[in-house]
Amino acid sequence: MIELAPHAVLLLLVWGTIVALDLVSVPQAMLSRPLVAGTVAGWLAGDVEAGLRVGVLLELFALDVLPIGAVRYPDYGPATVAGTALAIGAPWELGLGISVGLGLLVAAIGGWSLQVVRRMNAHAIQRRTAALAAGESGAIRWLQYTGLLRDAARGVIVTALGLLGAWGLSRWAALDRQTAVGLTLVAVGAGLSAVAGGAVRSAGRGARLKWLAAGAVAGTVLAVFR
Amino acid sequence: MTGGWRALLRLLAVQGTWNYERMLGVGMGYAAEPLLEDLKTVDPVRHGEAVVRSAEFFNCNPNLAGLALGATARAEYEAVPGAQIARLRTALCSPLGALGDDLFWAGIVPALSGLALAAVVLGAGWWAVAALLAVYNTVRFGTAVWAIRTGFAAGMRVGAAIGASWVPRAVVRIGPVAGACVGLAIPLVAAWYLRGFGSVGGIGALAVAAVGASVSRWFGPALTSVRFALLAMVLLVFFRWVGL
Repeated sequence: MIELAPHAVLLLLVWGTIVALDLVSVPQAMLSRPLVAGTVAGWLAGDVEAGLRVGVLLELFALDVLPIGAVRYPDYGPATVAGTALAIGAPWELGLGISVGLGLLVAAIGGWSLQVVRRMNAHAIQRRTAALAAGESGAIRWLQYTGLLRDAARGVIVTALGLLGAWGLSRWAALDRQTAVGLTLVAVGAGLSAVAGGAVRSAGRGARLKWLAAGAVAGTVLAVFR
Repeated sequence: MTGGWRALLRLLAVQGTWNYERMLGVGMGYAAEPLLEDLKTVDPVRHGEAVVRSAEFFNCNPNLAGLALGATARAEYEAVPGAQIARLRTALCSPLGALGDDLFWAGIVPALSGLALAAVVLGAGWWAVAALLAVYNTVRFGTAVWAIRTGFAAGMRVGAAIGASWVPRAVVRIGPVAGACVGLAIPLVAAWYLRGFGSVGGIGALAVAAVGASVSRWFGPALTSVRFALLAMVLLVFFRWVGL
């Protein structure tokens, strides 16, 4: 992580909050997908390539997750912003592993924070049960706006923690070349394992599995002859 | 239908108060408010009851929530008994959840992500990301408009309207497409990252992938991909630290 200008850090904090809100609350426009979050974070910090490298790898992890119903899932949006902030300015072969490691840790914290917000929303609703039972539209609006604010506050905190982690790692984690490259290879291997596992699980045993295999063959041919 | 566009915009935040008690309930009540506004002047008592019902427990995929929203609003205007409307809401939870999750989370999202990943590593760069956002949001917003209109037009007969619509057919078709797109992306992304590391690096990364796949199957949900990756990284740093 090169020394980022204060305005770039502020922009990353705002972007991290937006993508945290996008995951569940509003607008669910795919901004929180790592590929999107990383590309924009890289652009904001002046290194789109770093954002793409981190975003693509974390997208492999994100494809392992089906965000269905009440399932617990990591929050990859702010995590990708933090990972990109750490990756900026470093050769990707050396910086990718540790950046993705930070991103995965922040994603896990983000997922846990989501549960906290959901419980807080439930408590807020319990406190206004009488108003809801009386059909007060004002109570519904209040609950909705405070719920959104709660999630935005969560986004600010998780992103700030991630950026702080990026700053700390860039300052104090002095990795030798072999360890840095090793971490990148482990991160890539784990990402491939995640996306392949998720794809096979989603495919089941039907037509989707055959199409998955056909796509993999086509991708392999394209990768070999490119 | 008055207030349709405002309801549509509010639907974008339907999960804003997501919780384990009413799930989408309060968000649905928030989105229903503009649709129920006319009822306030026509029948204020009924309007109060409708607002209470609109914020009760509800859960489904957010992208198809408009179907339930439109249908229940129409039923309120048609003075359908409250208990019947509550039953309709309950009955819609599972099908709208299953159809929406299959269509969006297991279908459109992985399909577009896979295509975008493949395009990025083939050199499209951020254009692929922009295209992903444009296509997804066009589909998603179009679906929301269709859902709210279809729900309001069908009212209590929304189940039949869903069954006759494009949604069940799209669910059947999108699965294989998503599989093919993700399958296409995996080797391309692997080559993009591993090309610069030589055969030893490539074999090492693929060995990590094989171990990850094996232990994930062995340990099941207890060892998520995130936990496996973090564990593998910590082990690597530890072994390097002790001099291995």
